[in-house]
Amino acid sequence: MSEIRVILALARNDFSYFFRTKWLMAVLLSLNLSDMLVVALVYERMMTFDYFAYFVPAVIIMGLFAASMDTGRRIWLALRENVIQYELSLPVSTQGIVIAYLLAGGAAALVYASSLMAIALIVLPANAIWTALVLLPFLFVLAMGLAGIAATLAAIASTHGEFFFAFQNILQVTLLTLSTVYYPIEIIQNYLPPILVTVVSANPLSLTVEALRQFAFVGVPIDMGSLANILLASLPFTIIGALAYWSALRKLQVNGKL
Amino acid sequence: MRNVIRLVWFDLKAELKPPIWIIAGWLVFLVRIGIYGAMISQLMTVAEIEDYSSFFAVGLVIMITFDMASHTGRHFVEHAHEGRLPYLLSLPMPRSKLFLTIALQGGAELALMLAVPLSVTLLIIGNLSWVSIIACVLTLFWLGFGVAGLMLSLSFIAFKSSDLYTAIVTGLSTIIIRFSTVLYPLIFLPPQYAVAAVFSPLTHGSDLVRLILGFEPSILLNPIYTVSVLVALSVSTLGLGLVLVQRLVEGVKSA
Repeated sequence: MSEIRVILALARNDFSYFFRTKWLMAVLLSLNLSDMLVVALVYERMMTFDYFAYFVPAVIIMGLFAASMDTGRRIWLALRENVIQYELSLPVSTQGIVIAYLLAGGAAALVYASSLMAIALIVLPANAIWTALVLLPFLFVLAMGLAGIAATLAAIASTHGEFFFAFQNILQVTLLTLSTVYYPIEIIQNYLPPILVTVVSANPLSLTVEALRQFAFVGVPIDMGSLANILLASLPFTIIGALAYWSALRKLQVNGKL
Repeated sequence: MRNVIRLVWFDLKAELKPPIWIIAGWLVFLVRIGIYGAMISQLMTVAEIEDYSSFFAVGLVIMITFDMASHTGRHFVEHAHEGRLPYLLSLPMPRSKLFLTIALQGGAELALMLAVPLSVTLLIIGNLSWVSIIACVLTLFWLGFGVAGLMLSLSFIAFKSSDLYTAIVTGLSTIIIRFSTVLYPLIFLPPQYAVAAVFSPLTHGSDLVRLILGFEPSILLNPIYTVSVLVALSVSTLGLGLVLVQRLVEGVKSA
């Protein structure tokens, strides 16, 4: 029982750190809101396709993605500043620390994405607002998975910040570009080879953004298969990330450094 | 001059071992132009832009120029925040040379970062003369120095709080890019946004570069205005930055 309390305290601390980082909030809000209210609107004027309706739900997922990936930066900072040494001295297991960071990463991303969703629901009328709320737990699982990827990158980069930010940048652009966040699958099928089309279709970002568009904004009844696919695509990332971060912490405990 | 080069190399050397951020920047550019640019251009249906891929490629080059230039300004404040600036100020060299060092380092980083993206962009556009290529490179550096000067000038905010400075500069950077013609021509912006875009230095920089590279002049701003704005920007902000380095920088405190 006391370990759960320490895990929650660690998670709460990391969660609040995310929202207290002023520059990060400035970047995320200016980026996501300008994407939603400027880029989507202007692009729509250059297309015959209703790009605003297509892109606004995508911005929610982009926000969720960016906020989840920040977990990696916080883990990297904890490693570099030796905060992790203090955390390892707390009455909590190594697995507990890993769970705390992933929980905090998932929760921070979910809260941030929910605020974007509230704005999206104002600018783009949704046909099923309650469905959007039903999707929130699935967004949380996706956020945990993405936080897991970020944790893996932080563990690989160790204390080398330049590596971490380079990996994160490449991964972020690749995962977003190879998804249906920016453009419909029909366009992708016309351009990319079948193997990459499969990657795009299986990408958890594609699965989630399509679920959000169809179920919450278009108003199509929820399909349990799609929700199960989001879980199946996200869970492996969470597990791999947890294992990578856990082994990094074990190495730190044994060798005293990474 | 030897001291200036030595200082530039001292900082640059650390960033080049290994040059991971440059390689990452090139890879990101290639993914964005090769996949995102190609795909989004299939959705574009306006007659005014024949090929959105090349329009977007120029936009990405401008964004890299802007990022590197703002990085130069932020780097200066980070030095003040981390306590390296007092050491630099104690060196037996005039402040103007220190300013030249900052500018040269920014220029070198910009040149490294632009090498691949600019070459790929010029290849995509194709059929260019040497004069237009040289004019394009000069305009990019000119814009880069102007933006770096702007970020240096904003460093007075760091006197209050370096956190606040980073928040303002990073937030402002995104807004400046979105409210400009980096990603779309001015004629497609809603009137309320177009008013803001006309004041963005990136609008003038990107329209001038596109004009030099042979894009349709009817979708671009008048080059007389773009040249005037870029000259005004670089002269005023670099002048202000020089004054700050000469007189105020010792006031920068770690907050």
